Amino acid sequence: MYDTPFRAERDVSAKDTKIAAREVQVYYGDTHAIKDVSVDILDKTVTAFIGPSGCGKSTFLRCINRMNDTIDIARIEGLIEIDGEDIYDRRVDPVQLRAKVGMVFQKPNPFPKSIYDNVAYGPKIHGLAKNKAELDEIVEKALRRGAIWDEVKDRLDAPGTGLSGGQQQRLCIARAVATEPEVLLMDEPCSALDPIATGQVEELIDELRQDYSVVIVTHSMQQAARVSQKTAFFHLGNLVEYGDTDKIFTNPQDSRTESYITGRIG
Amino acid sequence: MPTSWLVLIVLALAAVGYVLGRQRALSGAGGDNRKLHSLPSYYGSNVAMKVAVPALIALAAWLILQPLAVETTIRADLAEEAERSERPISLVMSDVRRVANGLDTAIERGVITRERAANMRTEFTDVRERLAEAGVALGSAVNSNVLEAAQRYRGFSAIGDIARTSFVLLLAVGGFLYALRESTPDFRARNTVETGVRYLLITAACIAILTTIGIILSLVFNTIEFFRVYPATEFFFSTTWSPSFGGGSELGILPLLWGTFYISLIALLVAVPIGLFAAVYLSEYASKKVRGVAKPAIEILAGIPTIVYGLFALLTVGPLLLSVFGDGGLGWMRAGTAVMTAGLVMGIMLIPFVSSLSDDIINAVPQSMRDGSYGLGATKSETIKQVILPAALPGIVGAILLAASRAIGETMIVVLGAGAAARISGNPFEAMTTVTAKIVSQLTGDADFQSPEALVAFALGMTLFVITLGLNVFALYIVRKYREQYE
Repeated sequence: MYDTPFRAERDVSAKDTKIAAREVQVYYGDTHAIKDVSVDILDKTVTAFIGPSGCGKSTFLRCINRMNDTIDIARIEGLIEIDGEDIYDRRVDPVQLRAKVGMVFQKPNPFPKSIYDNVAYGPKIHGLAKNKAELDEIVEKALRRGAIWDEVKDRLDAPGTGLSGGQQQRLCIARAVATEPEVLLMDEPCSALDPIATGQVEELIDELRQDYSVVIVTHSMQQAARVSQKTAFFHLGNLVEYGDTDKIFTNPQDSRTESYITGRIG
Repeated sequence: MPTSWLVLIVLALAAVGYVLGRQRALSGAGGDNRKLHSLPSYYGSNVAMKVAVPALIALAAWLILQPLAVETTIRADLAEEAERSERPISLVMSDVRRVANGLDTAIERGVITRERAANMRTEFTDVRERLAEAGVALGSAVNSNVLEAAQRYRGFSAIGDIARTSFVLLLAVGGFLYALRESTPDFRARNTVETGVRYLLITAACIAILTTIGIILSLVFNTIEFFRVYPATEFFFSTTWSPSFGGGSELGILPLLWGTFYISLIALLVAVPIGLFAAVYLSEYASKKVRGVAKPAIEILAGIPTIVYGLFALLTVGPLLLSVFGDGGLGWMRAGTAVMTAGLVMGIMLIPFVSSLSDDIINAVPQSMRDGSYGLGATKSETIKQVILPAALPGIVGAILLAASRAIGETMIVVLGAGAAARISGNPFEAMTTVTAKIVSQLTGDADFQSPEALVAFALGMTLFVITLGLNVFALYIVRKYREQYE
């Protein structure tokens, strides 16, 4: 198995709650996809969502930036607050919310534009830069944060789709970071990557923790153990167990968590 | 024996062959399916195939070649007659054919006997009158040379017919016996039939390709013929189009190309924005329900025959425009038929082409692109403008170019909506005409087919063909080149 090049710091004491969810229900048509999920996600922390396929972890992730609004048949009940503000309040513009809550997807999805334009896309539509020089600065900063600057600085005009899978995913992370979000949601960001690219992205996630609250959905238990401080285990739409990663993996309270971690269900 | 009977006999033999081949294979295996190499029906099909295919191919080939062979033989004798009557040999030949067919009809109706037809002499009988009794009208009196040739023509044809019938039947029976002998349990009938199926498919593909080549060749040869009687530089660079069938025509293509270009441009100006916006609405904004109704409704437009659009232009759009821009209104327009009329209606016709193709292309942009853009806090219209349309652009350009080649090739709307005056003018409210409309008018007259006024149609068609072909190739090139961008 791929060995960890680093070990995430486990100190999560004295962190504020960034996202608070209370009794969240999600329905896709007649299917009850998320049942009664309540969870507090901390600031400046990596939180991993684990669980078997179809358990609702991605669905719940997509509730946090209201991406489920783009699906006609999805219906959401309950309360989700970011910094104490109800994101499903009528006054909240989902478009503004998504600028604050960035998202990285399972498959790298760079736009068919140049590397520069990919990163500049968000800042441009939100008017973050006053002029070209400032935009250049934002793009460079984002690419540096995405740990890809050195690889692409000489070919910013090349199409983003021409990069390798791992580079594309880091470009997508840079793109998400460029809009200065407060929360970064990652939906299985490494499932389409090889072990080396995975290692690079994981390292990056750990660095991002300094500024953001990162929520990552993953199928790899090793990955959850490596990068996260908090872990939530979902099963059949329920949040079964939520706690410090060390505790979940070494001393799970629920028998289902233990079965999943040891590979008996899932 | 008539050909249809021959075909029926061959097919009947094939059907019998199917049954017998199947039976023979089965009985060879002692009635046990499992001892056969292939399923019994394959043995039957193999026999049927070997009876019908060679026989029918031979029949078709014979039917094509026999008249050619007979005519070549007769033609040699007709040179003298052609010289005497100062007519081209092809005209004499068609006289011969007409008399020969007339004699056939007369015999069929019982006006004359078979022997009488073979021995008839112009010195003793008025052939024209006798044939008229049988209901066959001939243009001029038949002279002895033509009658003799016609009689020889009939003689050769009769021999040919008998030879054809026997040859085809022989081939069918031969195939029947050969295939039946093959039908032993070890014979790989399945593979043989499979090969047959493959050749059937190849033939179908070849027919399509050969027809295209045939059409192109006929265009090319007639165009060359045209340039032999009319200077090419005049044709391509003259700005006057005034054909006169008495001779001395000026046949410059430029006014026609200008009309084509102008009308197509207006059509595209109408069709591209409307079609594209409709496609964006349907694929991005419309709910499933609306889309389910609206998309077929738009596509109905594509099913309306263009002549109906032409009527619409002539009877509705033309008068409407005239009431606004004509003498009663702005005074720019003199008659209902104008570039604007045809262009607007053609634009409406093209909307479904643009919208339907663009809609497919926009839908082909992966959902992950949209997710990525929404995830960054972009609105729907920002996503469409900055991500989806750029990603779909090559395909959309391809759709527009395809619509353009449709516009250039359109005829009926122009004939009814744009008038017939060939002129180069910038005023869209004036009547102009296009290449296609002029091809129609050049060929629907009584013109001699060898005159430049008629042959010019082929040169026009060729020019049009080259332009639309170029557009299509260019469209496909663009679509292919940028297709994998988001994969």
